[in-house]
Amino acid sequence: MDILKDKVVLITGSSRGIGKAIARKCALAGADIVVNYRKSGGSSQTQAEELCKEIEEMGCRAMMVQADIALRDSVKALFGEVSEKMGRLDYLILNAAKAPFKPIEKLFERELRQLVDTNYLGNIFCIQSALPMLEKTEGKIIFISSLGSRFYNPSYPLGSMKAAMESIVRDCAESLREKKVSVNAVCGGIVKTDSFKVLRQFWDNIDMLPDGLFVEPEEIADVVLFLCTQASRGITGQTIVVDKGLSNAICREKVKS
Amino acid sequence: MSQNLITEEQVFEELKKAIVETLRVDENSITPDSSLINDLGAESLDFLDINYRLEQAFGMKMARHFVLEHIEEMFGEGTAIDEDGRLTEKAIELLKTRFGHNMSDLKAGMDMDEIPVMITVRSMTQGVMDILNSLPEKCTKCGNSAWQSDEGVKVKCGSCGESATYTNGDDLIKAWLTKVQEEKKIF
Repeated sequence: MDILKDKVVLITGSSRGIGKAIARKCALAGADIVVNYRKSGGSSQTQAEELCKEIEEMGCRAMMVQADIALRDSVKALFGEVSEKMGRLDYLILNAAKAPFKPIEKLFERELRQLVDTNYLGNIFCIQSALPMLEKTEGKIIFISSLGSRFYNPSYPLGSMKAAMESIVRDCAESLREKKVSVNAVCGGIVKTDSFKVLRQFWDNIDMLPDGLFVEPEEIADVVLFLCTQASRGITGQTIVVDKGLSNAICREKVKS
Repeated sequence: MSQNLITEEQVFEELKKAIVETLRVDENSITPDSSLINDLGAESLDFLDINYRLEQAFGMKMARHFVLEHIEEMFGEGTAIDEDGRLTEKAIELLKTRFGHNMSDLKAGMDMDEIPVMITVRSMTQGVMDILNSLPEKCTKCGNSAWQSDEGVKVKCGSCGESATYTNGDDLIKAWLTKVQEEKKIF
């Protein structure tokens, strides 16, 4: 399957979890991949290196770039490097996120600023820096959201940022329409990635949700891939929920027991 | 005297297991003095993963927040970390009280990000031991004191089968902070 052959995909925060699954899926479709991670010298970097090797073995080009999207200069350098080494960008997948797990009223000022810096401003910095390249390729921007954008999760201030970004997706879809850059979002349900390991520490018994209501990272990646293809050309400014029906099943398990 | 039935050795072994599974490092590279971040490559999410594995193994709850966060929650924002993200004199005094005065690397004005680097296998083991040492003398359900460990590192009441009830890590830190504040009036 070479649907994305010769296309370049950048996924922010792709050393782990959903980002990694998207990178793999796009590489399987023939795309060249830019793997971004925030922190050098740690386990993210090791995982990013392994992922790049894996992508190259699939016959695609892969490059890894360390950048903290919360920092404007870091973002500029990231896209500068992509432009220089890959020469183009077709898809920008806004996946990176970082947030404390605390009730919102307990966040310190520095935590609040960090929350907004990474998960709101950081994504906008990426959009701004990517635009010159995306305009040339009539590319697409896909934001990875979560059910926290519309439902309460315990100790999950990130949800409010996801909601803000879904709003930005609607805005940008219209304002970038003339430039033929499309913007959509995929809203994932509960995925057993690294951040789930955090979530389960604040949400007692979430482990007891039936397996059938957990989403696999690959299932989210498949919808992202669909949004990257021509087949999705009629969809614009939308957030597609991929949650195995969890959000339609309010307290279903409670009712059962 | 503590009722804890689990030895420090056992905690160390469990912690090693959790680290190997989370960070995929060679077991032999883990020593009590290894810094999880600098020597073993851990990141913040990894700590939560390691904590979760320990919680599953021992049947307790690790602290969700580090002592610095508890200080600020108790005594106000800015009391431990200034607006530039640097540790205050008071925070240093408290950390030294908690982790020992031989921690010569602790200095007022140091960046808060340097603190997690100091977390070692030894200090994490101690953190687990503190929680395990909170085991009450008597079973909270039947009132007998007949704790026994099962095949692994979980403790149950030998009389009624109830699982051990440990104080969670955050509550232990808060109780400790309250006690130190009463004695030393740091904040």
